[in-house]
Amino acid sequence: MVRGETRNQATELRRGVLELCVLAVLQRGESYAFDIVRDLSDAGELLTSEGTIYPLLARMREQGVVTTTWRESASGPPRRYYRLTDGGRRALVGMVGDWARFRDGVDALLASGGEVRRGD
Amino acid sequence: METDALVRDYIARLEAAAVRLPAGRRAELVDEVRGHIEAAIAAEPTSGEAAVRNVLDRLGKPEVIVGAEIPPGDASFAAATTDMSPTVTAERPGIGPLEVVAVLLVTVGAFFVPIIGPAIGIVLVWMSRAWSTQWKLVITLVVLVVVLLPIVGLMSAGGAGGVIQSSPVPVQ
Repeated sequence: MVRGETRNQATELRRGVLELCVLAVLQRGESYAFDIVRDLSDAGELLTSEGTIYPLLARMREQGVVTTTWRESASGPPRRYYRLTDGGRRALVGMVGDWARFRDGVDALLASGGEVRRGD
Repeated sequence: METDALVRDYIARLEAAAVRLPAGRRAELVDEVRGHIEAAIAAEPTSGEAAVRNVLDRLGKPEVIVGAEIPPGDASFAAATTDMSPTVTAERPGIGPLEVVAVLLVTVGAFFVPIIGPAIGIVLVWMSRAWSTQWKLVITLVVLVVVLLPIVGLMSAGGAGGVIQSSPVPVQ
C-alpha cells in the first residue's frame, strides 16, 4: 500500500506540472492535441508517455480551464482545438506563482548542498 | 500488413485496459488515441514497421494512458486499478451495440425471425459482460418459456386454440 502511495505522489507531481505546461502552451493561442504534444516534447521531453495528454485534456475540459472547438483540417479528419477560458487564465497565473516558489526553493536547497540558511 | 496488425494490437490492449472507464469516455479516448496514431505515422519521416513501433513507443503503454484517466488523489479509483485480485467486483461495462442487438433479437426478433432470432439473441446475451450470470439465466428462461410454450401449445391443441394467437411466434 505504501508503495502505491509513493507512486501516486510522483504521478500527481508530474500531472500538476504537466497541466501548467499545457496551460502555458495554450496561452499563445488555440491548439490541438497533436501539436500540444509536439510543443511539450520540443520543450524538453516533458511527456514521458504522449498518450497521457488525452486523459489530461479531458480532465481540463471537465474543470472548465479549456474549451474546445472542432475544426476541419486540410489533411485528415477534423481536429479538436483547445483554448484557454478565463478560469484557465486565472489557474495559469496561480500555478506560475506556485511553480516559481517551488522551483526557487528546490534550487536554493540544491545550490547550498542541502544547507538551509536562516535569517540573513 | 504487419504495421496494421501492430496498431490493431495496440488499440485492442487500450480497449481492454479502458473497460473500467465510463462507456462514453472509453469510446472517446480510443478515438483520440487512434487519431493520434494516424497523424503521428503520417508525420514520421520514414514508413514501415520501425516507424510504427516508434510512434507506439512514444504514446506509452495503453495501461499507463488509462491510468492517467484517474483523477489525481482519487484513492478509491487508484486502489481499484492497482488491486489485481479477481475477487474485487469490477464495475460492469455499460450497454453497448452488442446488448442492444441481443435485446432486440430476444424480443422483436421473435416476430421477424422466429426461433432463430431469439436463439442468436440468447447467445449474444451470454457473450455480453453487461449482465450478471443470474440475469442471463433469467433472460434465457423467460425467452425459452415465451418461445417454446406456444409451440408446445400449438402441437397439443392442433392449431385450434385461441390462446396461441397471443404468442410472439407468428402462427401460419
